Order: sequence, then C-alpha cells, then structure tokens
Amino acid sequence: MKDPTFWFIARASGLTAYALLTTSVLAGLVVKSRPTRRLKQAATTDVHRFLAVLALGMVALHGVALVLDSTVHIPVLGLVVPGLVGYRPVATAVGVVAAELMLLVYVSFALRKRIGVKNWRRLHWVTYVVFAGATIHGLTSGTDAAQPWAVGLYGGVLGLVATATAWRALTPRPVPVPARGGSR
Amino acid sequence: MTSYRIEIDRSICSGFGACEELAPHFFEVAPDGIAATRAAVTDDPGVLEAADACPMGAITVVEVIEEAA
Repeated sequence: MKDPTFWFIARASGLTAYALLTTSVLAGLVVKSRPTRRLKQAATTDVHRFLAVLALGMVALHGVALVLDSTVHIPVLGLVVPGLVGYRPVATAVGVVAAELMLLVYVSFALRKRIGVKNWRRLHWVTYVVFAGATIHGLTSGTDAAQPWAVGLYGGVLGLVATATAWRALTPRPVPVPARGGSR
Repeated sequence: MTSYRIEIDRSICSGFGACEELAPHFFEVAPDGIAATRAAVTDDPGVLEAADACPMGAITVVEVIEEAA
C-alpha cells in the first residue's frame, strides 16, 4: 500500500496557502481602510508582509509534496514551467502562473527603490490576478473542491475579499488634522 | 491660504520611500533610513498624497490655517 503522507501534505498545504494568501490580501486591504482605529497601519503592514511570506512558504511545500507524492506524477520542472504537468494541465498551469506572480509581487518589495514606489504600487494590482488564479486552480485541480466545507471556504473567501476591496475603494483619503486642538 | 505642517513618527517610519518619491521637494529619506522633511511647512497639497501613500501611516499632516493676507 502506498504511503499517503505526501498526498495529504500536498492537499493540506495547498488549502493552507490559499487561506494565508487570502488573509494577506485582507490585511493589505485594511491597511488603509482601517475598520477600527485600534488597527495601526504599521502593524497591519507588517502582518500583511508576514502572511504573504508564509503563504509563499506553503506554496513551496505544496509543490515539493506533489513532486514527492506518487498519486499524480508531477515533474520538478513542472513546478516552474506552466503546462508540463499531465494531470489536469490547464488547472495546474494556472496554479504555477499564480504562484510565480505571487512571488513577483513579494520580491518587488525589495526592488521598490529600483522600479519606483509608484510602479511598485501598480504591480500590486497583479495580486488580484494571483487571487483569481489561485481560486480557479483550487476549484479545478483540487480534489477536495466539491466537499461542502471547501465550497463554504471558497464562497466565504470570495465574499470577504470582495467586501474588503469595496471598503478599501470607498475609503476616502484622510483629511489633514486641523491645527487648533492639537495634532494627536 | 492653506499650508501644511508635517509630522513624521520616527519610531514607525521604515524608510519605505513613498513620500520621497511622490513629493521629492519636501521629503527625503535621510542617510539613517528615516524620512525627514526639507522644510517646516509647505503649501503644496501634494504632501497629502505622499502622506496617504505611507504604508506605515507614519506621516501626519497638520493643516495650518493662516489669516487672509
């Protein structure tokens, strides 16, 4: 009998990566919309970045576990080159592209001086492509996607991200603090 | 006329550089990696955008209301 350990790890890490990506996106969106004043921007920004790197780590574990597992045959090169995986080729290619774009957005933080902060902010819009890609990848190649809890997870996540996006979009730019009456 | 006084919380500035890029005549990231202002006050509303872009929320813009000349 085959040892299913890597198969369990692959599924669990995929779902965990998706949950972490979502929480990172939500944290990024509330940096400016601040649902409560007790949420400090600096702390939220740190949490946002930390969740993003955790999500990337989980994606890496997801890929490694899939290569080590024998339920589906995934070549190592298939983790970086979209389309080399025979199992549900389109769905897995979407996952590979989403992971690479996610890495690109994360790495761009370190390159912000070189590319300019404005371009860095523009590049952050790619995150919506990453999120859409990860959702499509999970729904179409995930073997648990039809489970009631998975349907609940995907539905809930889409609702949360849409709500947080709308909230962020409707948040007005803060007005200057009036001079009289103290600045703090 | 409206002018603005800028306060930078040095304890939370991470030297990200968004303010410097958006309003380079007013902000600069000093050699110690912390943003600094080049003047005490400014009447350029561009500093509002720069303050808004700070990912750490380290910049407070105080509106200085002057008597009409």
